Order: sequence, then structure tokens, then C-alpha cells
Amino acid sequence: MAATESKKQIGVRGEDLACAELERQGMQVLERNWRCRLGEIDIVAAESGAAGLTLVFCEVKCRSGLSFGHPLEAITYTKMRTLRQLAALWMREHRMKASSIRVDAIGVVLAPEQEPSLTHVRAVG
Amino acid sequence: MASACSWSVALVGLEGRIVEVEADIGAGLPRTVLVGLPDSALYQARDRCKAAISNSGQEWPISLLTINLSPATLPKAGSHYDIAIVAAVLAAQGIFGAEQLRRSVVLGEVGLDGRLRPVRGVLPATLAARQAGFTRVIVPLRQAGEAQLVAGIEVFGIASITQLVAFLRGEPMPLVEPVEVMGEQAGQHAGRRLDLADVVGQVEAKWACEVAAAGRHHMLFHGPPGVGKTMLAERVPGLLPDLEVHDALEVSAVHSLAGFNLADELITRPPYSDPHHSASVASIVGGGQRMAKPGAISCAHKGVLFLDEAPEFQPAVLEALRTPLESGMITLGRSELHARFPARFQLILAANPCPCGQAATPGGHCHCTPMVVRRYAEKISGPIRDRIDINQGFLPLRKAYLKVARQRAESSAVVAERVLEARDRQRRRLAGSGWQTNGEVSGTYLRRHLPLPDGLQAVDEAVDRGRLSARGVDKVLRLSWTVADLAGRDVPGGDELAIALAMRRGEQPGAVRQEAAGP
Repeated sequence: MAATESKKQIGVRGEDLACAELERQGMQVLERNWRCRLGEIDIVAAESGAAGLTLVFCEVKCRSGLSFGHPLEAITYTKMRTLRQLAALWMREHRMKASSIRVDAIGVVLAPEQEPSLTHVRAVG
Repeated sequence: MASACSWSVALVGLEGRIVEVEADIGAGLPRTVLVGLPDSALYQARDRCKAAISNSGQEWPISLLTINLSPATLPKAGSHYDIAIVAAVLAAQGIFGAEQLRRSVVLGEVGLDGRLRPVRGVLPATLAARQAGFTRVIVPLRQAGEAQLVAGIEVFGIASITQLVAFLRGEPMPLVEPVEVMGEQAGQHAGRRLDLADVVGQVEAKWACEVAAAGRHHMLFHGPPGVGKTMLAERVPGLLPDLEVHDALEVSAVHSLAGFNLADELITRPPYSDPHHSASVASIVGGGQRMAKPGAISCAHKGVLFLDEAPEFQPAVLEALRTPLESGMITLGRSELHARFPARFQLILAANPCPCGQAATPGGHCHCTPMVVRRYAEKISGPIRDRIDINQGFLPLRKAYLKVARQRAESSAVVAERVLEARDRQRRRLAGSGWQTNGEVSGTYLRRHLPLPDGLQAVDEAVDRGRLSARGVDKVLRLSWTVADLAGRDVPGGDELAIALAMRRGEQPGAVRQEAAGP
């Protein structure tokens, strides 16, 4: 790992780890970094269970340390509200239908010289 | 995921109610929710506790933390819940066993560095905890002495969150320098003792003070400026006997609630409160939006309330004294709760006869018009005047008298001894009635259970002439009993009644002096 990893690189690495985590849990990643006028959805994934298909819209926040607080603390109410709007836009554009949708958040801490730590919180907003 | 609870106390007036502080660590984005009708000081506890915990080597949970203060319908105010919140949060995280907090009430405000700061109302809160069956209170170290005044409950003083954790884990306590609080209010009881001998002359007024002290009667001083009205009023508390244990506890609890530092001992001397005439109604009777604070009348409970320059007070302030003067307590109604404070104070009013202060003074040159003089006198309303037992006029001293009087002034100690004797007689007579002094006894009890003095014709006459109200009759009877108690008589006679009547009406100051000096 380069000593001077840029913010963007940290973010991408965090999202990679988050995708791996979602797939490990049996979800299928449909799209990453979908952008529109309103903003960006980090990960869109699908989870099929007994009740049918669930679309999971996931926000990933990655930080290289805890000195500015846990990454999850940076996910605010406004961000969650935007994410819900984005979810609706995404579904309209892709003409997708699902029996339920869910908004998740994943916080990744990429401290130097340490194993990355992931916190996955389901159904946050 | 995990939850735990701790206990604190909500004070409504002097009455404390146990509050359960629950902390729940649940799934969700990191956020802290504080519910249970907190006021803004309590709402900010979230941020204080968070910083305090992080600075004490512990962690604030990174998930959805819900803190509930129950009963949820009772409005809660103040910062003393901080440490209970901290304890519940740490217990929910398993830092120490939640069972450690059972049967304990924790009180205190935390600083951002994790040290505990003193809060008001520790004494009444400890009383409430004991009453509710709790066996231990944990309070800021500096206030452990105050909590220890309550017998029958284990008191533990801690200086910081680190000490709390060590204590509840049963580990050795780390050394922490307790918080120094600047500008803390010292209790009024730690005050000066003024001597009656300092007041030159005014023998008659001094005697009125003695009677008032003996029977806890209300007084009105009127006279020109500079004759010693204020000096005498300040010396009345010095004539009163020490408070009894029960009263001392009640008085101390009120003072603790008002934010005075009790300095680890009960207030045993009768308190003295002398608010300035610019005082607001709320500062006199007590008030506050959510958490009512006791006012000057409650701080003078079992002691003396002195209103100097009484006509200068706002009329609403004086009129607000009417009910507490009769009932000995004040109930403050707010939209969400009623707070009740004791207020059995002894009132002393001082007034000048007119704005220039010289009206009706021999040798004085008053420049006020009759209408102005009348208006000034009317500022102390009829109902308030009717509740005054002793009307004491002051005359300026003559030069020759000043010299003589300087030599043979009685000291407070001598007078206080006579007052104590008179109080003993009253206590023996009123044993089992629930009252301690003549000033408090109800009119019914006075007329039905105690022998009526001789020579009641004089009183009847005064009533016939419309100079004495029904309440006035009781006041005169009470006064005559006190005069008899001071004279060492078992039942007041015609003389005592005549003195009492004259003192009540305050018409002929000279006559009273002669009669009093007689026996």
C-alpha cells in the first residue's frame, strides 16, 4: 500500500471491500457508482429471499482512521433522505420492480498497517 | 443488542421522585437519542456525556443509542442526570455489571474531562432516595458531606468517571483531583452574628423584637431614616433559638435546592433573607419555567424575611406574600407540574412614613403633601397590614439619650436566653398540637383549647369600633400569650392583653414602653 493513498483511492478500496462483504452475504451486486443529477449511489445489490426480491441501496463511507470519528457517524439524515430519492430514480430508470427495498450503510476503517474493519448496518433509512 | 439502567432523582419542589435512566444500544446508524421530556440543560447531557466518556478511557457506543428517562411523562430538568446516563451507558456496554447499579442512586454533572461537578439539591434528593428504599447514593466527592447528613443510607463520593468505573468494578480507585468550582454561593448560615447591644437606644423597639422572636410574630417597623430599623431587623435572627433537627434538615434541603453550598453541615441557625426592593415576584416566592427554584420566602423558612423599604417593592410582590403568610407554604403551579416549598417565615417590614421620611416625626420637616404621604402608606396594603402582629414606630433619638443608652445596652445573648425560656413555655403548652410557637397556632385552637385571658372587653371594644378584624383578634390573643410567656405568667391577664393590643395597633408607642418597663 502506498503511503500517500489519495482520498479517492481510499474510497474505491472501501467500496471494493463493501462489495465483497455484500457478496459474501449472498447478495448480487447490480451496479456501482450510479450517478445522476441528484447524486450518487455507491452500490445497488439484490437479495433474494423467501419474501421475494429485495433491492439493497448501499452507502459506503470509508476513512483511514478514527481520529475524525467513525465513518458511520458521517452518514447524516440528509444523506439518507437523498439516498431514498436516488433509489426511486434508479428503479424508474432501470424499470425494476422489487417486493421490497432497503437502504444499508457500510462503514470501512482502513487504518494503516491494520486489517480493514467493516461495519454493516442494515435498514438505516 | 444490550441495555442497562441506573437511577436518579427528579426534584419537584422539595419532593423527590425516582427516575430510571435506561440506555439501549441497538442496531442503526450511530446516533444518540435522548427521550423522556428533558429540558435543554438535560438535552445537552448527550454531548457532555459523550465527551466525558471518551476522555475517561471508555468508548461511546458506535450505533443507535437510546437513552430513556422514565417515568416519561414527568418533565425533567437540570444537569444532575449526567452521571446516571454515563453509568447506564457504560453498564449497557458491559464495562461493569448492571447489578452494581441496583439499589443505588447516582447524582452529578460531568465535565468534558470526565470529572464530576456539584449539583444543587443533593440533600433532598438523598432524602428521596432513602425514602424510596435505596441503600446507596453516589454523589460528587465535594458533596458527599451534604449527602451524609441523611442518616440510614450509604454515601459514596466520587471525583470522576474513572473513579466510578473503578468503584463499581471493585478495583482500586485512581487518584483524581476534584473539580474546583469558582464563585460558589456560600450558605447564608455561615454568616455573622450581630449583637443587639450595637443598636443605640430604641429600648421599646428592642423589646418588640424580643416579643416577635419569642412568639415568631410578624413586625412592621415605621419611622424616619437612620433610626436603626434595618440594624434591629438584622439582629432578630440572633435572638432566635437554634433550629430543631427536623427543621434543620428541612431548611438545609431548601437551601441545597436554592443552590447554596451547605459545606457539609446542617443549617442549625434560623436563616435570614433580605431581598432588595427591586426583587421580582419569582425571586421572592420562587419560580422558574420547568424546575421551580425556591424563592426568598422559602430561603427564610423557619427564619426571618426582612423587606427593607417595603413601600418601594412592587405591589404584586408584597401581595404575593398573603397566602404563604397564612399557610406557611407556597405551591407554584406550572403547566406541567406543581412544586411545593415550605415558607413558614417570620416577616419584618420596614417603611418610612413618606417619601422624604420625616412625616409625623417630632422635629422633622416633611415636605410631602398629605396626598403623597397617604399614597406612600397605602403601598403596604390593608390585607398585608392585617397580617402583621406588631406595628412598631421608631422615633429619632435625642442627643442626651444617646449617651445614656450607649452604656447599658443589653446584649443579644441575654435577650436570646429569655426568648429561649419563653419558647420552652410555649412548647410545653402546645405539646401535641403540632405547633411550636404562638405565632403559628390557629385561631380555633387559641380560643377553644387555651384559657381566654381576662379583660377581653378592651379587645371587644376595638372590634366594635372597627379597629380590629377577626384575624386581628387572634393576633392580639397570640401576642398576649407571648408577652405572658416572656413575663413568666401561666395565663395572660389584662395587662398583657393591653400591651398586645397597643403593640398590634402601634398607636401609642410611649404607653407600651411604660407598661412593659413596669413589672
